[in-house]
Amino acid sequence: MELNIRIAGAAGQGIQTASNLLGKILTRSGLFAYCTNDAESRIRGGLNFNHIRCSEKPLTGVTNRIDILVALNQDALKALAPSLLPDSAVICEEGCTHPRTAPFNLATLAKEAGSEKASSAVAVAAISAIMGIEKPAVDEIVRERFEQKFEQVNLKAVALGYEAAAKWPEAKRFAIPQGDGVKGRLWISGGEAVALGAVAGGAKFIAAYPMSPSTVVMTMLAEWSHKAGIVVEQVEDEVSALNMVAGAWYAGARALTATSGGGFALMVEALSLTGMIESPAVIILAQRPGPSTGLPTRTAQGELNFARHAGHGYFARILLAPKNIPECFSLTAQAFDLAEKYQIPVFVMTDQLLMDAQATVAPFSVNDLPTSRHYLSPSELSAIETYRRYEPTDNGISPMAAPGVSKHVVVADSDEHSEEGHIVEAADAAELMASKRVRKGETVLAAAEPPVVDGKVNRKTLVVSWGSTYDTIREVKSILTAKKKDFAHLHLKWLWPLQEEPFKDIVSRASKVIAIENSVACDVASVIREIALRKPDAVITRRDGRPFDVETLVESLSREIK
Amino acid sequence: MSVTEKDYESLVENQWCPGCGNFGILTAVKRALVELQLSPDRVVIASGIGQGPKLPHYLHVNTFNGLHGREVPSAEAIKLAADDMTVIVDAGDGGAYAEGGNHFTHAIRRNIDMTLLVHDNFCYGLTKGQPSPTTEHGTVTKITPDGVAAQSLNPLALAISQGCSFIAQAMSARTDHLVDVLKKAVLHKGFSFVNIYQPCVTWDRVHTYQYYKEHCYELGPEYDAKNQMKALELVLSPSDKHPLGVIYENDRPTYESQVLAHVPHPLRDQPLDPKLAVSLFEEFV
Repeated sequence: MELNIRIAGAAGQGIQTASNLLGKILTRSGLFAYCTNDAESRIRGGLNFNHIRCSEKPLTGVTNRIDILVALNQDALKALAPSLLPDSAVICEEGCTHPRTAPFNLATLAKEAGSEKASSAVAVAAISAIMGIEKPAVDEIVRERFEQKFEQVNLKAVALGYEAAAKWPEAKRFAIPQGDGVKGRLWISGGEAVALGAVAGGAKFIAAYPMSPSTVVMTMLAEWSHKAGIVVEQVEDEVSALNMVAGAWYAGARALTATSGGGFALMVEALSLTGMIESPAVIILAQRPGPSTGLPTRTAQGELNFARHAGHGYFARILLAPKNIPECFSLTAQAFDLAEKYQIPVFVMTDQLLMDAQATVAPFSVNDLPTSRHYLSPSELSAIETYRRYEPTDNGISPMAAPGVSKHVVVADSDEHSEEGHIVEAADAAELMASKRVRKGETVLAAAEPPVVDGKVNRKTLVVSWGSTYDTIREVKSILTAKKKDFAHLHLKWLWPLQEEPFKDIVSRASKVIAIENSVACDVASVIREIALRKPDAVITRRDGRPFDVETLVESLSREIK
Repeated sequence: MSVTEKDYESLVENQWCPGCGNFGILTAVKRALVELQLSPDRVVIASGIGQGPKLPHYLHVNTFNGLHGREVPSAEAIKLAADDMTVIVDAGDGGAYAEGGNHFTHAIRRNIDMTLLVHDNFCYGLTKGQPSPTTEHGTVTKITPDGVAAQSLNPLALAISQGCSFIAQAMSARTDHLVDVLKKAVLHKGFSFVNIYQPCVTWDRVHTYQYYKEHCYELGPEYDAKNQMKALELVLSPSDKHPLGVIYENDRPTYESQVLAHVPHPLRDQPLDPKLAVSLFEEFV
């Protein structure tokens, strides 16, 4: 069973508050919610909506199905009326003419409770009642969430909304089964999970400039600064951000930056610096549609090739792509270990959909996360007679030391340098260092997690994708399997570097290859051409800054799979 | 065991032009660090690109030779991550005032305890004689055959107007004076900025050693470096004489005394504990 609720209105009308309350109530009740948002780049007005998918099981694909539309103003109803299904119901303010409108309206009940602003509490209570959630569960969250001076008004609003919805006979069909009673699940967004992952990964410093949809990382780390011992630096520009990150790692602290395409463009010079001085770096690249300013509050997966190729000169890097909120946590934490182990920049490739979406998830496990650092310890350093920062090794990784923890000095240089780190011109010295960095690239490639395919590939259609599209494609896969249009699904987690043999093997066995990417150019198709030496038979892209939804993707893929 | 100049001796071959003003700065930096009894492992020198910023290679010292104009942000993060270290930034007038102008302004705002040395020779040496932000209006160079059309930057006035917590000016050939200024700059708690005049013996025929001998004077004990308006007046008054010494200082709180107050530090030494994240789950339950 599932219930899809869309709460729509103007920016500033409390859409986010309502969905947060609802998400918490469902999560605490042992149910599952998944919320995506569609917002304009403005602070007040316009048309925004949150779509909340509620169920007794986790459903985190994006769907267009609306069971109940909560319209906080007439404009929202007008704008979304065409998206309603014949059986969709509507909860609205006064004067709504839709045939399946609830026998109560939000504004009237909110006013009765004491404030027009309590509309969202009325809506949340009504929806909870419809789903069959007990009223005390709603009261509990309202008490926690609202300041004392607003508590009574909102509790009254809850009572009125709950009572009114219980008297709505048509609403009975929206009841969902009881939850499993499991406590302790989290109601959390991808961006918040990234920030938690940074804490788990040992980040002690973030330098960033606010940019949607990445800002949440800096915001959360600032909130946790004291508890997690993290310094949050809002920089003058993104140029400074990545140069600071490199400085912090040089000094021995784990550091990250978070940005979107335009901000990352400003970091490219420093990215190349990290390559040359062999500095670790963690870059959260939360994508949005470009080029240029693009659609600031919307989603895209358009920076795969940009992140893969950014920076002048050859140097190794890793691109990790979380497929869902739990991986936002685990891959971000892992990024710090990989960056430090290989002394390279590691990207966590997310997007607006993944950063802003909230879901009910099991608490993240930290048991498998590394707890040791890769810098030389003071005792290891005391055993070394002369420390050379860029000492050539077979695997290309030179033992890394931080300054100030031993008698040795640490020299890092953006010029081509000697083993000691000093500026050099000699051909043999340059060759030595360039080759060392190439060997390091080979080491990283060999350590890359091989791609894993879901389903049998042989002589079947293979869908290749990455990142935030995972849950939607997985849902599409189960729908199409039931229609005898099954496909194998290769979803890339370790986006780059990609091991040629296993990737080529999977791709070559398919009868048809379809690349799916929420972008204009479909960069993953170029990866398939480059590594598997095969041109995808079809690409499915999206150019409007909106996420793929199950319904549209079922149609697009149905056309491709015979 | 006391620190000597030998501790700072580097084996790297020097690439500067014979007679370059950089040599005087190198000598003075070494002497200042020794006189302050700071050992090379406790000091980080961050630098950018150009002839002057090769300076840390010619010392045995922790070195972060980063990007042109980006030496300041890297150094700021180094200090925040390792606040037990002495951090010095070595930049040219191109790196500090052109490419890094934005970072310079914000470093003044932050007031992180570090020292920025700017080799100011009114020209770009390594790229062969182009004008810098401090090149005088009307100066003819290869790329400004009709003279530099832009007004020259007054970095001291900019820094004073923004309340930079320590501002000094020195001249590369006046070693004793430069050493004295550098020591004061390093000891000052906050962002110390030292503009160091130096002749470019290859590209500049006007600002020679002789020129500086005739056009520089040292500020006497009567000068009050705590007075911001007087300092501004000093550096904005039309004059062909350049004041040397501490131009302005204040005792604003350092950035790290505020941002590190609530977190365990040095950040470098904090243990890695993934379980720290678990303690934050609560707000999402």
